[in-house]
Amino acid sequence: MSTPDAPRLRRHRIDWEAASLELLFKALTALAVLFLLAPSVIVILTSFTSSASLKFPPPGLSLRWYVALFDADQMQRAAWNSLQVAFWTTLISVTLGTAASLAIARSSSPWIRAADVLFMSPLVLPALAFGFASLIFVYRLGFRPNLPFLVLAHVVVCVPFVLRTTLAALTQLDPALLDASTSLGASPWMTFRRVTLPLIGRGVAAGGFLAFMASFDNVPVSLFLADERTEVLPIHLWQQIETNLDVRTAAASGLIVLFTLVLMIAAERFAGLTRQLR
Amino acid sequence: MDGNAAPSRTAALRQLSQAAHRGHDLRLEQITHRFGDGIAVNGVDLHVTGGELVALLGPSGCGKSTLLRIIAGFISQTAGRVLFDGALVDHLKANRRGVGIVFQNYALFPHMTVAENVAYGLQAHHWPKERIAPRVAEMLDLVHMNAFAERRPSQLSGGQQQRIALARCLAIDPKILLLDEPFGALDKNLRLDMQIEVKRLQRIAGITTLLVTHDQEEALSMADRIAVMNKGRIEQVAAPTAIYDQPASLFVNQFVGTTNVFAGEVIEISAHYVRVRLDGGAVITALPGSAFSVGARIIVTIRPHHLRLAPSTGSDGMPGVVKTVLPLGPEVVYDVETAGGRGVKVVVARDADLAPVEIGQSVHLVPLALHSFRIFAA
Ligand SMILES: Nc1ncnc2c1ncn2[C@@H]1O[C@H](COP(=O)(O)OP(=O)(O)O)[C@@H](O)[C@H]1O
Ligand SMILES: [Mg+2]
Repeated sequence: MSTPDAPRLRRHRIDWEAASLELLFKALTALAVLFLLAPSVIVILTSFTSSASLKFPPPGLSLRWYVALFDADQMQRAAWNSLQVAFWTTLISVTLGTAASLAIARSSSPWIRAADVLFMSPLVLPALAFGFASLIFVYRLGFRPNLPFLVLAHVVVCVPFVLRTTLAALTQLDPALLDASTSLGASPWMTFRRVTLPLIGRGVAAGGFLAFMASFDNVPVSLFLADERTEVLPIHLWQQIETNLDVRTAAASGLIVLFTLVLMIAAERFAGLTRQLR
Repeated sequence: MDGNAAPSRTAALRQLSQAAHRGHDLRLEQITHRFGDGIAVNGVDLHVTGGELVALLGPSGCGKSTLLRIIAGFISQTAGRVLFDGALVDHLKANRRGVGIVFQNYALFPHMTVAENVAYGLQAHHWPKERIAPRVAEMLDLVHMNAFAERRPSQLSGGQQQRIALARCLAIDPKILLLDEPFGALDKNLRLDMQIEVKRLQRIAGITTLLVTHDQEEALSMADRIAVMNKGRIEQVAAPTAIYDQPASLFVNQFVGTTNVFAGEVIEISAHYVRVRLDGGAVITALPGSAFSVGARIIVTIRPHHLRLAPSTGSDGMPGVVKTVLPLGPEVVYDVETAGGRGVKVVVARDADLAPVEIGQSVHLVPLALHSFRIFAA
């Protein structure tokens, strides 16, 4: 038997397998990219239509629907509400989420572990159920839904993002650095401000970005807790589509895609977003 | 550049040696620490006098780091007391103890420059701004790192990082310096350089120092005294030569330097010697040490350097057959198989005029002196 040939033969076959596997992965990746991008591309193309219907492909191109946004008072108010809610939600989520992650990372108590799971639960539990429950809760407390309650409810569903990225950053943080800082005479506050925060800052920022986006396009919670005065953009757009197939929604969507893109690039540059999420 | 450096270096040296006169005294009394069920440090007593360098030597996991963390104030001991200059410090938080600590990985702040790292402790101690920069320059000068002030730690070699860690630590003039396996991450040549450097700085500063290590050579070469730890206890505290020559326990004997170990039984005791029958059958004569009675089971040890090879004809000692011969420059290391199949190491100075004993030759192992044998309870 030609034993010297056998290994080469086998290597050849493995190469072939690897190549076909690679091809498969490439095809799957391309498919995924297509599915991720296609809706946005279609919406953006539609938003430049010259016709008064949401037909795709558009019969002609124009900027008329973007111009029309200048007069869309209700839509503008909804967008402003959304930005406000997202801003406060992010601020509170980052503060609470960072504080909670510090405690969780520092402790090995089972109660703290349980708290971690509890804080993370909004990621897996149906948000619709939470939105409904919080509406009942607000009424039981004797209030009507308003902006502060909307923000609070958003915080509940957005904190997990901050918690995850910050905890991930904290596990990368060498505890010897904190000990070194302390033994050099630093107070706990100085250690936090000068050592901990700068070293986990990118993780916190990445979490803040995710929290902002999650709040900005949240539907299930806002559906229950937003009234006419606090109507948020995603819900307003949904109603416009449902009632009169308003083409301005496509233009608004185009702007949202652009806005998100800019935020993402900024987050990538300043916080290394994708690296924080890995 | 060096012209400017010289005056500030002498200033730093003067200041540090002034500190030497007040070298602080460290005392540990009955320190015990438990983690859950496990006992990491068990009834440790240790007194380090001002300016002394004591090495805490022991295998990994014996509680050295835990003891350091107790002294630094990072954890509070389950029982016992820590005193600096006779005053209790247990109530002081880690940031108020004035203990400098250098970690194995140096723990330099990666987001700060070298100068910012050294300035950190001074800022924490609220030094006025205008005094910080000169002090940082002084300290960097002391460790010969002026040229690197604006670098980040990641741009430095291991040895350079360690110099910065030391400078950062010494800048605040700590009472006690703790070094936790500081040379473990350095390669061998650099390690020797840094050991000399640390010893130099420690001497100049006259700072009371506790050096944690599991490397016996490091402890032997650097320390004024060595405390050998095993399973949370200190087994012996003594000068390096005493640790080596008069180990107080079998553990110390085996952990510091290499040694051959035999089990045996006391068969005869007189005022001047004891005779022991080793389990292989050979009978050896040693000096009477502790009180053993005839028939007691004991452990006998002897270092490879304290044995010589004698021709097998008519000699006293342990008979054996040479299994391995390693000529290592000035010495020859033999591995001799004795009765009962036990391998014994023998190291003898190489005599250029004499051919080394060959593999397969029958020999007798003879101690250089009666006191070469050490006897411990089994
Ligand atoms: N935070 C901790 N929790 C539980 N056990 C610990 C902790 N730190 C150390 N130990 C245990 O205490 C013992 C001593 O550890 P350590 O002081 O780090 O040893 P060394 O520094 O001599 O290698 C080890 O058995 C270790 O597993
Ligand atoms: Mg250790």
